[in-house]
Amino acid sequence: MRAYFKIEFLQFMSNKKNIAIYVILLFFSCYYALKTAPEYDPIEKVDEYEIEARYLTREEFLNNVVINNWTHPLTVFAATIYPQWNEYDKKRLDAIRQHNMKEYAESTSKWYSYADEMTLKNGYLYYNPRYYTYENTYATWDGHYAYLYSASRYEGYTEGESDLSINVFEERTALQTLQRLLHSYLPLILIVSCMFFTVDVVLKDRRNTTLLQGLPLSDWRKLLVKGGVSLLGSLLAIIPLSVGLFIIGARNGLGDFELPVPIYLASEKLFSNITIGQYVMQNLLFIVFWFLFFISLILLVSIVIKNEFANLLVGSVFVIAEFMYYARGIGAIRDVHWYPTSYIQTGQIIAGYRNFLYSTDALTFGTGLFVIGLCVCVFLFIMFLISRRRKFRLF
Amino acid sequence: MSVWKILKTFFILEKSNKKNIFACIVVATFVFGLIFFVKTEDLGNSLKEKSGEYQSISVALNKFQNVDASDKGNGSDLYKNIVLQQQYISKQKMAVRMGLSEVYVETAIDVVDLRLKAFDMEGYDKVANNLPSKTEIQLESAFFQYIKKAGMPLSVDSLSFFPFLAYLFGMLGSIWFVFMSIYSCGIMIEDFRHTSLIKGYPITFDKYVIAKCISSMLLVGVFILELIVCSLPLIYFKELGNPLYPIAIFNGTFDVYPIYKYIGVAILYMISISIFTILLSIILNVLLKNMYLTLFMELLLFIFPLLFPSMMNFIPFNPFNYLNFSSVLNGQTLDLANPIALNSTYGLMYIWISIVVMIVAVKSFLTTGKLQKV
Amino acid sequence: MIELKNIGVQFSGRDILKDVSVMFHPGEIIGLVAPNGTGKSTLMNVIMNYINPNNGKVILNNTLEYTNKKNEVKIHQLVSMMPDQSDLYNQISGKEHLKIYSSMWSSNTKLIDYTIKELGMTSYINKPTGTYSLGMRQRLCFAMQIVSDTQVMLMDEVMNGLDPTHVELISQILVKKKSEGKTIIVASHLLENLEKYADRIFFMKNGELILINELSPGFEQREITTVRVIGMLNNIKENFTKVFPETNVKVLPNDITLIDVRGYDSRELGHIVEFLKENQLIEFSVGKVTLNDLYSMYYQEV
Repeated sequence: MRAYFKIEFLQFMSNKKNIAIYVILLFFSCYYALKTAPEYDPIEKVDEYEIEARYLTREEFLNNVVINNWTHPLTVFAATIYPQWNEYDKKRLDAIRQHNMKEYAESTSKWYSYADEMTLKNGYLYYNPRYYTYENTYATWDGHYAYLYSASRYEGYTEGESDLSINVFEERTALQTLQRLLHSYLPLILIVSCMFFTVDVVLKDRRNTTLLQGLPLSDWRKLLVKGGVSLLGSLLAIIPLSVGLFIIGARNGLGDFELPVPIYLASEKLFSNITIGQYVMQNLLFIVFWFLFFISLILLVSIVIKNEFANLLVGSVFVIAEFMYYARGIGAIRDVHWYPTSYIQTGQIIAGYRNFLYSTDALTFGTGLFVIGLCVCVFLFIMFLISRRRKFRLF
Repeated sequence: MSVWKILKTFFILEKSNKKNIFACIVVATFVFGLIFFVKTEDLGNSLKEKSGEYQSISVALNKFQNVDASDKGNGSDLYKNIVLQQQYISKQKMAVRMGLSEVYVETAIDVVDLRLKAFDMEGYDKVANNLPSKTEIQLESAFFQYIKKAGMPLSVDSLSFFPFLAYLFGMLGSIWFVFMSIYSCGIMIEDFRHTSLIKGYPITFDKYVIAKCISSMLLVGVFILELIVCSLPLIYFKELGNPLYPIAIFNGTFDVYPIYKYIGVAILYMISISIFTILLSIILNVLLKNMYLTLFMELLLFIFPLLFPSMMNFIPFNPFNYLNFSSVLNGQTLDLANPIALNSTYGLMYIWISIVVMIVAVKSFLTTGKLQKV
Repeated sequence: MIELKNIGVQFSGRDILKDVSVMFHPGEIIGLVAPNGTGKSTLMNVIMNYINPNNGKVILNNTLEYTNKKNEVKIHQLVSMMPDQSDLYNQISGKEHLKIYSSMWSSNTKLIDYTIKELGMTSYINKPTGTYSLGMRQRLCFAMQIVSDTQVMLMDEVMNGLDPTHVELISQILVKKKSEGKTIIVASHLLENLEKYADRIFFMKNGELILINELSPGFEQREITTVRVIGMLNNIKENFTKVFPETNVKVLPNDITLIDVRGYDSRELGHIVEFLKENQLIEFSVGKVTLNDLYSMYYQEV
């Protein structure tokens, strides 16, 4: 079995298609590191002038306002909430001017909590205007989420031991970029690569059947070896991708595995922090489960339909299925947590963001692993039954 | 005559090819998936859209100091403009609730005019994010002007047959090249596994390629037909819709096409892109001898203009700029940092020039006799 | 009629074909005999123009040459090469393969059913070829070429994997095609079989074609020329040369001794037979040199 694994692995690595995938991943990772990452423009920036402008305007208002019985209720309201708010802004401003990162983190955390509390409750205040892009009906909720997220994040910086810098605050360091990518398209890219790696792993042998039919290994074991090879190959895709990470690391600093990642707890509607190290490891585990899901799925389709085109299509359907039924808040009506495809954005599942989008609390790391693991077992079991049939031919 | 001989051969082979059945299934799944998607997203719900718009505008206004917004007031022009927009949008929301189609259209035209004026006003950058882009506004302007002129009622149900078809073909416009790439990336590789059968055929390679194109294009015809047939149930469940209903497009100038014309242009584009892709696949197959490399190459060429948008200005005749024809018809490239007006008619021309170039290349450089087994 | 004129092919400096000039006529079966890797397939590939020769040309019917693509098509209409059995489309049936070849060469469609019957393929012809055995696939490839009905047919290893009955059957069909005026060029290792129907047989060595008549004059004559003795020991042979000093004796690498008896009358033959019998040699035959002997003589030099 080990010898067969070696043969398969050598074939896998010398396959032109697989080499091309690694090269393309390398290209994208460099493109991202050199072109996209520097253009990253977070909404929650560290912007001294923005803070100063807001602070001064409000300070002026507070200095000049006269509160009496005829004052407009909104003015009264503003006069009540601004002093506290401005205190935070003042602290932030001083801290950033003195380059006191710890102090800045602490007051910023408080600032976000306070700003969110004030903004969510009444309709006269708004979150950062950039959430209110044209046609975004959920802008308020996005702002709410982002403010609480930032509050929790800065709290983490205050409590943690990591070196702080503006790059850390704006999530620009290599590890934080990785975290952001895991939160967006990286899992999909890895899964699609895995799909392309696996798509011909069984059917390539159709061209030299006589060579391989006689090997003293049952079809079931051959399939397992093939699956193992493409799992290993898919994991190796991390190598070309990490090149981009090192480029970003060289420019913006590597970051720290101890930096906080806020996790949204849907049941309690609040955030708590885990470290980037934990976040990345959980993602890795999740993505490995996804690899297993796609490998077993494609192996199954390979032996049932025996057509590479079909492999590609069935795989793609599972990749894009979520787009078909996804809608904000639909989790409240439908049991999306039983669909394996709901878990495809692993970073968002772990961070709780998917729960927030779906308005549910059922999409958790544990349920995800369970649902996907269950699917893998079902696929493998069907494969096992098919490969045991006497009339079955692998190729 | 000799093309007919080889065509008969391809029919025998394609008949037994599982790939075609799967492609048909995928096309059908796509249509039904899209119907489902339109339903869950509640597209075309004007009320929902307008309330989102209202919120964005309020935020935009929030960036200004609250002052007297009347004509004589001391607010900036832009401020007054946006205040007026906000009022009109409230009016539109009302019109939607009461079902006053005409009022809605009238107000829409007013809003669009205001917005067009706003662009040249001082400080627009500050609020640009909260308002639609210039292209979107110009498309809207063309649309509502037409509706008003024709005295047409606004269509509200995006799941009626014709509006849905327009939406469907619009969606396909973005991905048709990708679909065709996946479908055709192995077009010659299959044959390379049977070279000793094919090499000796008494037929030139260009005729072979032409026959290959014809047989694949017949299947493309089946796909397009399938798209329409799969949407037919909407007539029963919803309604037929109006084939003359306008769709705003950019074609050098901002204009409207009636739905039937839009669909016609889309189908024309799809057919051209299909021929283009098939020929490209054939040439790349011969050069690279691997279907996945062919596929990756095609996809890279496709996203190249997206990765390096400035290249579009540099080589406007690159047919790959036009393969996403929905974005061309939407005038999306006008909103880029370096805006470029891609004209859909020129796009078709460039694609066809490329097709001719590829046919000439096939005719002069490739022969069946030299095909290598893979 | 197909003519090769000064064909030369070199691969990485080595001569595969060296200045080959030969003419093949209608109504003729040509046998090509040579060990693997001596250029048989190269020769056929040159005739099909799958390989461009470094020099020389192929001329069909005195006029057609591979000068442009149009002519290539015209020549391919008249010259075909048997397909490789591993290249068959596994998912379609044998009959559909025959239909493809028939329509590609616009031949008489009646040939399809006729050939199926003649080769005894009726029972399985409608099944997908993926299910065929090696021999069935080989017969199908042969049938495909017969159906294409071209003037010149090139067959590489046509008898591969066939049982003796089918070897016989196909030989008969070849003879029949010859009588229809086809030029058939066969490369085969079944020497005894080839000897039976081939009009001219060529050996290939060092890039050259050698007509075996030149190696062994009288090979094609129908008279007794040789006594073939199996397992003649050296001392007996020495003895023999003493008794018959005038007679040529040749020992081949395949343990066969050839005694040249050209022009001997029955009395003289009788003496030789008597000598063999006295020396307890019972396995011998009187007749002529076989192709096997020539092959052994030519290629297996010790």
